Amino acid sequence: MSATEGYRIGVDVGGTFTDVVLAHADGTIRLEKAPTTPADQSVGVLDALALLASAEGVTVVDLLGSAAAIVHGTTTGDNTLIEMTGAPTGLICSEGFRDEMDLRRGYKEDIWDAALVAPPSIVRRRVRLAVPERIDCDGNVVVPLDEAAVRRAAQRLRAFGVSSIAIAFLHSFVRTDHEVRAAELVRDEYPDVGMISLSHEILPRAPEFERTSTTVVNAYVGPVIAKYVRRLETRLKDGGFRGDLLIVRSNGGVCPPAAIERRAVATIGSGPTGGAVAAAAAARAAGLADVVSIDMGGTSYDMSLVRDGRPEVKTEWNWRHRYLIQLPMVDVQAVGAGGGSVARLAGDRIVVGPQSAGAVPGPACYGLGGSEPTVTDADLLLGRIDPARFAAGRRALDVEAATKALTELGEPIGLDAVEAATAVVEIIDAYMADAVRRLLALAGSDPRDLSLVAFGGMGPVHATTQARALGMRQCLVPLAASGFSALGLIMADHVVDESRTYLAPAENADLAALSALADQLAADANAELTDAGIGEDRIDRTWYLNLVFPGQTFDVPIPIAIAADTPISPVALSAAVDEFHRRNAEARLIESRAEEPRIRGLRLVAVGRSDHPDLRPPPPPTPIPARSQRRISLNGEWTEAEVVDIAELTSGGVTLAGPAIVELPFSSLLLHAGDVARATANGDVLVDITGTGAGSDRLEGNR
Amino acid sequence: MTTRDASNEARPLADPVTAEVVRSYMETVCFEMATYVSRTATTPILNQSNERNATILDGIGRLAALSVGIPQFMLTSTLPVRFALEFFGDELYPGDVIVANDPYHGGGHLPDFNVFAPVFAGDELVLIASIQCHHGDTGGAVPGGYNNHAEDIWSEGIRYPAVKVIEAGRERRDVIHMMRVNNRLAGFIGDLRAQVGAAQLGVARLGELVQRYGTETIRACNDANIADTARRVREEIAGWPDGTYSADAWVDNDPAGNEDIRVHVALTIERDHLTVDFAGSDTREELQAWSTFGNTRGYVIAQLASLVDPTIPKNEGFFDAITLIIPEGTCVNPIVGKPVSAGTHHPGVEVGDAIALALSQIIPDRCTPQTYKIGAPRQMWGDHNPRTGKPFFDHGGELYAGWCGAVRGVDGWGAQNASFGNLIKATAEINETLFPHLIRGREYITDSGGPGQWRGLPGSRFVKEVLTPTRVSQYMVNRRHIHPGINGGRSGSGDRCYLKVGGPPEAVIDVRVACQGELIEPGECLVYEFGGGGGWGDPVERDPAAVLDDVWDELVSIGGAERDYGVVVTGSVEAMDLAIDAPATEARRATMRAEPRGTQ
Repeated sequence: MSATEGYRIGVDVGGTFTDVVLAHADGTIRLEKAPTTPADQSVGVLDALALLASAEGVTVVDLLGSAAAIVHGTTTGDNTLIEMTGAPTGLICSEGFRDEMDLRRGYKEDIWDAALVAPPSIVRRRVRLAVPERIDCDGNVVVPLDEAAVRRAAQRLRAFGVSSIAIAFLHSFVRTDHEVRAAELVRDEYPDVGMISLSHEILPRAPEFERTSTTVVNAYVGPVIAKYVRRLETRLKDGGFRGDLLIVRSNGGVCPPAAIERRAVATIGSGPTGGAVAAAAAARAAGLADVVSIDMGGTSYDMSLVRDGRPEVKTEWNWRHRYLIQLPMVDVQAVGAGGGSVARLAGDRIVVGPQSAGAVPGPACYGLGGSEPTVTDADLLLGRIDPARFAAGRRALDVEAATKALTELGEPIGLDAVEAATAVVEIIDAYMADAVRRLLALAGSDPRDLSLVAFGGMGPVHATTQARALGMRQCLVPLAASGFSALGLIMADHVVDESRTYLAPAENADLAALSALADQLAADANAELTDAGIGEDRIDRTWYLNLVFPGQTFDVPIPIAIAADTPISPVALSAAVDEFHRRNAEARLIESRAEEPRIRGLRLVAVGRSDHPDLRPPPPPTPIPARSQRRISLNGEWTEAEVVDIAELTSGGVTLAGPAIVELPFSSLLLHAGDVARATANGDVLVDITGTGAGSDRLEGNR
Repeated sequence: MTTRDASNEARPLADPVTAEVVRSYMETVCFEMATYVSRTATTPILNQSNERNATILDGIGRLAALSVGIPQFMLTSTLPVRFALEFFGDELYPGDVIVANDPYHGGGHLPDFNVFAPVFAGDELVLIASIQCHHGDTGGAVPGGYNNHAEDIWSEGIRYPAVKVIEAGRERRDVIHMMRVNNRLAGFIGDLRAQVGAAQLGVARLGELVQRYGTETIRACNDANIADTARRVREEIAGWPDGTYSADAWVDNDPAGNEDIRVHVALTIERDHLTVDFAGSDTREELQAWSTFGNTRGYVIAQLASLVDPTIPKNEGFFDAITLIIPEGTCVNPIVGKPVSAGTHHPGVEVGDAIALALSQIIPDRCTPQTYKIGAPRQMWGDHNPRTGKPFFDHGGELYAGWCGAVRGVDGWGAQNASFGNLIKATAEINETLFPHLIRGREYITDSGGPGQWRGLPGSRFVKEVLTPTRVSQYMVNRRHIHPGINGGRSGSGDRCYLKVGGPPEAVIDVRVACQGELIEPGECLVYEFGGGGGWGDPVERDPAAVLDDVWDELVSIGGAERDYGVVVTGSVEAMDLAIDAPATEARRATMRAEPRGTQ
C-alpha cells in the first residue's frame, strides 16, 4: 500500500468553487479547489480531485485507489428547485384534498407585501388528481380505494407527460395499504413511469400538508439527484475508486448512495452541514461547550447553534426555496449580510444590505466597475483589511474607489468617508448581532452562555465585534476557515434521524403501540447503518418522545429512555412527561399542570461515528513572517495595531493582545483592546474577550 | 414618583446610525417577546396560529417598533397603554406588569389581551414592552367570547381596562385569582403568564438598551425613526393626486339580523397630507356589531401600510402622517356599552375594504383589501367526545381558502391574503385526533375566483362530518355584499354555510344570518363555501392563455371562461384537447367591451 492509505476525502460543491480536503492518517490536511461545473457537478469534482492528486504528488488513480472514503456534499437538489428543472411531476391524493400544495396551511412569506408572487408550481392543479379513498386516524377504512379512479389518474398523468408521481393519502402513515395498492395500479397502467414516491415511505408522519409537500419535492428532485449520484459513482469507479462514497444529508450526517436513491429530498438544504460539523469539531477540540457558528462571506451571514457538540437540527417547518420539506435539517439561519452588502440611504437612515454587490461587480474596491459602497469597502477604509493581502494577495484592492463610494454615501447626511465607513460597519454589526439574537430566541438560548466560532472570508474580520455585542467571552477562528465545509465533511458521522407519528393524550398512551413504533424505527436505522458498515460499537442512539400541549403546532422532543427489544416502560413515559412539565415550569410559564400534554410521536437519532484522525496544524513556514504595524479605526478612533501572521501564533506559546490584526490565509482576524488570542492544539485561534475593550463596538456587555 | 417622558419638547435628533441600530435592536426584542409566547403558551390559538404580536412603545405610548404578526392586531396596541399611563400617573413603578382587554379603553374586543410593562431608567419612564394575544375565552355569557346574542359589552365578558397583575415586582395574587375564576379555560392563567414572561423579557432587553445608550439617546432615536417613517409615508401620499375619494363598504347584517350596515369613508389628499373621515357611516342604535375606535384605527393603518413601500419601518409615524376622523356613534366608533366581539371583524374589516375601494380610484396597482369575511370564528362543541369521554370545544382555526384578492400583475394565490401569512392553519390529521369529526374536503371551487385581468383566488368548499352530536354557532356575512374586486375586476363568489348536510334533505339548514348552538347529528356535515377573492382589472383584458390554463386547472369552467372572460374554449379536460377558438374569442370580447359593465 502507498503512503496514502486511509485517505478520507471531503468534497463540497459550492456555488462558485468545489472544495476538496484530504486528511492524512497523521491528521494533517490538504485543501484544493476547482471551479464548480453546474451542468454536471461531477466534472468539477473530478477536476478538484486531479488537483489534489497532483499536490500530493500521486496520480489520480493512485489517489482514488487508496482512498478509504469520499464524503460528498452536493447542491444538485437545491439547484434543481431553484432553477425548477426537476422531473415532470404529478400527485395522486385523497378526495377533497387536491389543493394542499397551493394552500400551504395559509403560509405566505411576507405579511406586508400585497403583491408577493406565488412560488413556481411543481404540480399544477391539472396534475394533482384526487381519488376516492379515506382512512381515519385509527386506520379504519372509511372509503375504500377506488381502483378505477387510480387507473384513470395514472392514464391522465401519463398523458400530461408526467414521469414522476407522488402518492399522498390522508393518514397513510397509520395504514399504508391504500398507497401501496395505488402504486401497483399506477405501475400497471404506466409501466415505464420514472419514479413513484409514496408519502408513508418518504415521511411517515402527520400532518398532511407537510407529508404531501415533502413527497412532492422528492418526486420532483429525486430523478435528477439519483442520476447525478449514479454518474458520480461511475466516474469515481472509472477513476479507480474502490472505497465508500458517502453523501451528505441535511440532517448533519452522511449516508450511502442507496439511502439517497430511496429519499433524495434529504440532500436538499445539506449545504451548511459541513460548516456546522466542522464548527462543532473545532469547538470540541478547543474545549468550548455550546457555540454559535457564523459563516460570513460575500452575500450572506449564516448562523447555526451547536449544542452538546452537535449542530442544532430543526425537525419541522423547514422551508427551502419556498417549499416545505419536513425533514430534519441542520438549523442554519441566513440573513443578507456580507462583505458585498451594499450601504445606501433610506430617508435619513443608512441601511446596509440585504442587496449584495456579489462577486461581480463586487465592492467598489475590487475595481471591477462596482461603484456602490459595501461592507468590504468600509472595512478596508478602517484598516481592518490589508489591501495588499486580501484573498491571499490574489486581488489588489482599490482604496481610492472605496473612499469615493463612501464619501458619496455620507455626504447627504454630513459624514465624511471614514465616518460613513464607521457607520456602515456599526450598522452591519448590529444587524448581524440581532440576527443571532433571533436565532437564539427561537432556540431558547442565551448568547452569554455561548461562544462564537467564526469562519468564511469576512467572518474573522467581524468575529470579535460580534462576540462582544452578544456578551460572549470566547471566540474561535479556525485556521482552515477557507474550505471549512469540506473539512467538516471528513468528520461527519452517519446520522439517521427519523420520526414516526403516534397521536394520543399522554395519560392514555398505548405503550404497546408506541413500543412497536420504536421497534420499527430501530430496525430501519439499524438496517441503514449496517448497510453502511457501521458496527454496533460505533452507534449512539438517542430517543425522544415528541410532546405538545393540545393543538400546538410544533413538537417538543423530550429525551426518553428506550432500550433495544424492551417495551417502553410506564416509568420512562411519565419521566418524559415530567420533564416536559419541568421545562415549562422552569420558564415560569405554567403555574400548575393545568393542561396535560399530547404525544405526537417518537424520534430516534442514531449516530454511527465516523472514523477520522484528529486534526493537526501543518508545520509553520520558515521563516515566520515578521510583525508589522498598521493604523486601524475602532469605533471612530484611529489606533496603531500590531499585525501578526497566524504562523507566529501556531508556532507555539505566543499570545497576542489587541488592538491587533492576525493575518490568516484568506482573511484577517481583528482583535479589539482587551482581546487576547492564542493558538489551539490543532492550529485554530482562540480569542478571550475581556474587559469592555476600548474602542470596541458599543453594543457590548449585556451582563 | 415618576417623571414623564417629555417627547414633545424640542431636543436634538439622534444621529442616523444610532437610530438605525436602535431600531434593529427593538424589532429584535419584539421578535424575542413574540417567540417567547409561541414557545411557551398552551393554547393552540397562540402557539399554533401565531395569533400574538409584540410592540414597543415610547414613554408616552407612541408606537416605536413592532414584530411580525397580524398587522391590524399590532396596530391596536397603543391606546390601551396610553389609557394606563394616564390612569396610573405617578403610580406606575419599575416591575409593574399590566393587563388590559377593554374595547372601550383602547382595545379591539375582549379576547385580545394586551400585557405590557414599563422600562424605567432611574425614576424616568422610557419605554414600554407590550405583547398582545388572542385568548380562547372571556368569561361572558357563552364560551369563546363570541356571543351572537349579546346586546351589550357586559354580556360578552369581563372587562379589564388596565389591571396590574404584578406591582413593583410583586404578583397580585388576588387579581390573578379573580381573573382565573372568571375564565372557563384551565390554561388561561398559564397563557397569561407566558405573556407576562414575554413582557418581562422585553423589559430586561430594553433595560440593557437604555443602559447602553442613555435615556436621551433612546428618546432621540425614537423621535428620529418616527419622524422618518412619517416623512416617508407623506412622500408616498404626495405622489397621489389631490382630491377627495369616497367609497362604501357594506356588511350584510349583524348577528341579530340588522341588514346593510354601511361603512363610508372619504379620503382627502392635499399634497402630502391625508385625511380619513368616516362621517356618513351607519349610526343605527340597534346594531349589535360595532368596531371600536382602536379597532377601526388599526384597520385604517393596516390597509394603508399595504399600499406603500413595504420596507418603511412600522411605527407611530404612520399615525402621525394622517388625520383620522371617526365620529362617535357611528358603527366604527360606538358609544360605551355596545357589543363589539362580532364588530371587531365586521364592520371592522369593511374599514379596510372601504379604504381600498376609495384609493383604487387613484392608486389601483397594489390596492386589494387585506381583509376577510369570516363573520365570527366558527365554534363547535359537544358534551361527549367518544375518544375521551369528555366534552369538547372546537374553535375552528382550520385551513380553507377565501377572500384573497388579486393585485396588478399577480393572481390571488394560496389560501388567504398576505396580511394573514403569519397564521398557520390547523390540519385534518391532527384535528381528527382531537375532535370527533372527519374533514371531507377543502378544495377550491371552480369559477369562484373574482374574474379580472388578474384573477382573484377561488374560494373553497370546506366539508366537516361530525361523528357525535355536535352544536355549532356561526355568524355569516359576504352573502350579498361580496368581497370586492378592484379597478374593473369583479367580485368572487359569496359565502354559504349549510348545516346537517347528508341527513334528510328537508332538514338541511342554510345559515343566512347566524345560528347559535344548532345541533348536527352524527354522519351529517357542515358545508361551508368560503368566498372567492376579488379580481383586479377588466377580465376581458386577461391573457387568453392564462384563461386556458385556468380551464386546464379546473379553476375556471369552459362556460365561465366565455361568460366572465370572453374566451371561447373548445374541447374538454377529459379528452385532453382544450384549445382556444381565437376568432370566436375576438368576437365575444368585442361584444363584451361594447357592453356597459362595472365592478359588480
